[in-house]
Amino acid sequence: MLFASYYLWTAPHILLGVFLICLLGRGLQRQLPIFAVYVVFELVQFIVLFTISLHSPFQVATYKWALVIGDGINSVLELAIIYELANELLISRSRLASVLRPALQAVLAVLVLGAAIGSGAFSEISVQRVNNIFEMIDFSSNLIEAGLVLALFIFARALRFSWNSWTVGVALGLGVSASIDLVSDALRAEWGNRAFSAADLTRMTGFHICVVIWLVSVFLAHRIPTFPDSKLKISDLELWDNELQRMVQR
Amino acid sequence: MTIAVIFIVLGLLALVLTIYLAKGHLKKGGDLEKLAIQLRPVDVGAFCNLISATEQQYLREHLPMREFRSIHRERMGAAVEYVRCAAHNASILMRLGEAARQHSDPSVRLAGEKLVENGLRLRLYAIQLIPRLYLSMAFPKAGPTPDILADTYDDLSRQVVTLSCLHFPTHGMSSAL
Repeated sequence: MLFASYYLWTAPHILLGVFLICLLGRGLQRQLPIFAVYVVFELVQFIVLFTISLHSPFQVATYKWALVIGDGINSVLELAIIYELANELLISRSRLASVLRPALQAVLAVLVLGAAIGSGAFSEISVQRVNNIFEMIDFSSNLIEAGLVLALFIFARALRFSWNSWTVGVALGLGVSASIDLVSDALRAEWGNRAFSAADLTRMTGFHICVVIWLVSVFLAHRIPTFPDSKLKISDLELWDNELQRMVQR
Repeated sequence: MTIAVIFIVLGLLALVLTIYLAKGHLKKGGDLEKLAIQLRPVDVGAFCNLISATEQQYLREHLPMREFRSIHRERMGAAVEYVRCAAHNASILMRLGEAARQHSDPSVRLAGEKLVENGLRLRLYAIQLIPRLYLSMAFPKAGPTPDILADTYDDLSRQVVTLSCLHFPTHGMSSAL
């Protein structure tokens, strides 16, 4: 069990380091800058926590504060990434912003309401007050993240909006991690300390899966199926578009 | 207990759905010939007839109410199928536009961008229109189709005409439409 915990704590962060190198190497941080900041922050947090854990005697209070503050910042960054994804994938790339923005806002409102209900119900998720506050924030942000990522996928599917493999990977990783965290939070809230280890392992496994998805997606980033240039003629495209545009703008 | 179980189920459901929907996005690909094969034929004349306000009025005046309701339901059901086909074709055109966006020529990229935008609009029209058609199917009296839906119908029908009339010489897309 101890080995599994250490593995699930360190391995995803080592992979995340590899991922960051690939990300910067391919210049993909320009596309999703907040995401790049999040990855760097996650690595910094890991290094800080790992260093504290190696320090003898182990300083529980320092470790907990570092964990709680780090998780709080992470939650904010993760929500910012969802905004960045929505902006990158849907809103800034189409003239449909006026329709999609209110739809996303409505989804967000429902999720915030759900988070409020859940937070009220799980108010005793942890025995310590500070931990409790941040567990609530963590739970709420996970619910909102999972819901918004799902909403983005549903919109993209309904409108047949094409995403490239890299951004789909980022969204998928976040969605998977947030969904698993949500389950783990609910388990912990219901069964308390008895489920603490299992919930923690579940959460770390979720993050591990998330990092693997990101890593695979960054390797597949340039494998989008393309059509040979020779098969597309500007005259054909202009004809299609002029006709469509004329009909749409009446 | 109940709320915890609800959130556990919601979390698992979100997980499964997210993976399922993402898988659909990652699977996209293919070439233009394969896309052309996927196009569904749309009989524009028949579609226009189905959504025609005067046609609906004529049927209402000349048929017993019960018979009119039944026929109206069938007509709207058929119209839904046409709209679905048009939306499906639009999604194929969007993939054509997506392909054009990766082209080396900037003007082709720009044209592809516009094609994607307009394809998106058509899909959005379809998403708005289909529930309205079902509503009209359920309440033919309460929801006089031409009055409420005329604008969207008109836009959509004209776009369907566009889809069926435009040519894409090398891949036979226009004949498939």
